[in-house]
Amino acid sequence: MSVYKHNYRPYTGKVTPLWKRIYVLARYGFAEAWSSKITVGLFTLSLLPFIVFLILIYLANNPIARALIFKANSQAFAIDARFFFSVLQVQSWLALALAAWVAPRLIGFDLADNALPILLSHPISRFGYVLGKFAAIFALLSIVTWVPCLTLFAYEGYSSPIPWAAANLSMAGGIFVGAVIWIAFLSILGLALSSWVKWRVVATGAIFAAVFVPAGIGAIVSAILRTRWGSLLNIPMMMSQLWRRLVGAPEIFSSRFALPTTAIAVMLTLACLLCVAMLNKRIRAREVIRG
Amino acid sequence: MNDRIIFDNVSKFYGEVLGVNRISLSIPPGITTLVGPNGSGKTTLMNLMTGLVRPSSGSISVIGLSPGNATEFFRNVGYCTQFDFFPRGLTGWQFVFDSLLLFGMSRMDAFQLTVEALDRVQLRDAAGRQIAGYSKGMRQKIRLAQAIAHHPRVLVLDEPLNGLDPMARAESIALFEELGRQGMHLLISSHILDEVDRISDRVVLITGGYLIAEGNIHQVRQEVRDKPMQVLIRCDHPELLASKMFSINHCVEARLHADGKGVFLRTGDIDQFYSMLNGIAVEGLVKIEAVAPADDDANAIYQYLIGSDGSAS
Repeated sequence: MSVYKHNYRPYTGKVTPLWKRIYVLARYGFAEAWSSKITVGLFTLSLLPFIVFLILIYLANNPIARALIFKANSQAFAIDARFFFSVLQVQSWLALALAAWVAPRLIGFDLADNALPILLSHPISRFGYVLGKFAAIFALLSIVTWVPCLTLFAYEGYSSPIPWAAANLSMAGGIFVGAVIWIAFLSILGLALSSWVKWRVVATGAIFAAVFVPAGIGAIVSAILRTRWGSLLNIPMMMSQLWRRLVGAPEIFSSRFALPTTAIAVMLTLACLLCVAMLNKRIRAREVIRG
Repeated sequence: MNDRIIFDNVSKFYGEVLGVNRISLSIPPGITTLVGPNGSGKTTLMNLMTGLVRPSSGSISVIGLSPGNATEFFRNVGYCTQFDFFPRGLTGWQFVFDSLLLFGMSRMDAFQLTVEALDRVQLRDAAGRQIAGYSKGMRQKIRLAQAIAHHPRVLVLDEPLNGLDPMARAESIALFEELGRQGMHLLISSHILDEVDRISDRVVLITGGYLIAEGNIHQVRQEVRDKPMQVLIRCDHPELLASKMFSINHCVEARLHADGKGVFLRTGDIDQFYSMLNGIAVEGLVKIEAVAPADDDANAIYQYLIGSDGSAS
């Protein structure tokens, strides 16, 4: 046996809190996402409606422009809850496209490269790993959803000749909450599906399918059973109803199709729990090697 | 603090697939090599040791620490996996530096430790280059730098010599030996049995998820009693020596060396054999130049206990 001098000194300095460590993974995720030109393209595309909405707010608040463009019917174009619902809706569906492209890149590469053993042999748990990836995609989707929406809200507040912002603060809260619910759902759905689907392009398709295919099934269920509850599988319809209520836009669905907010919240929670279970099953540092 | 890695009747099953079964080990500081065929459970054992998987039954204590206390545990454990993974687009420097941030170091400490680790693996000059442009040997080295950078007390290395050229291999082995001498735990899995012999204080032989043997190579060899030990004796009269040994010892085989200046002898009782050899040397009938065990190495133990087909005999 060797004669050990025992002069090896382990590190005994201070350790940073968990969130700082997770930030490294979020940074990796961000870098991974932006390394694709398609991400840049989708991101740019996502901000085009913002510019259009910005111009519309400018025109709506400019008396000369209103007189010239809207002429006699100058009240027809109002910056109100309906307008911000439209903004939120457009930005949110563009966020879906962005999430479907980016989410598989965040986890797919790590799984393909067997990165989990090396990453998880640091003092971050599987929860920390997923949280890091979640933070990356959540931040990215925030830039195309609630950030531009609230920027438009602030611009309207600035441009409006009347004290508009203070009177509509609840609308801003609704925009923020509605967008956060949607991008949190999209982020976790994207991560869960991309952890199970090996090919990134297929994972992108699976994310779209997970949003739209159940809607068709829900419509069939509603038609056959003559019930509104089939709409609980219709994510676009559910989100549309939720956003309208949060922003304060008028309802367009008849009571036959309207879903209680509680039912929508329960359904989204269940979907998120399913995604968490999928991630819990898949995000593991083990591999069984059999020769 | 307990300075041993202790496995107490540990089993790990992946569903119905056996990872390892009823492993009990107590590993002291120094270099311990895990030897076994592909799929024998070496990586599972390492993943258990590094807290990446939890045992289905039994308990593990790594220098008195449990993976449940992740911050303290991983501060003391470094793992260099066999997988060639690096986050895309990173330089060698960023890889090691970010790893230290993940370990919870401040940026200042991480900077100093990164410099030290890169110096240790002699990769400081290439630290600013993207890892994607590294050779396989450099990638192994940067992984090693990442594993040792945070000053762990236990270093687990999965196939660390794969893909290294002879020079890089020698440098890595020298580093392992230095770390082992300093009192660090090094657990290395390797298929390169010649190097296992050179660097290991202990071996752990595993196949099919079962522990076959563990301990000092020479002790393990002596325990394999059903395989007579082979000793090479260099001398001036090998035939005479062989005949004497056959007459007084439990020699079962004698084979002259190709150059005629030595003889390989197999004996079932190595202690009595050396005692008799002493007597013969004192008599002066045979002038003995050298005595060396010929199958007292990891390769022989592997062949005897596991066999070339990977199934334990």
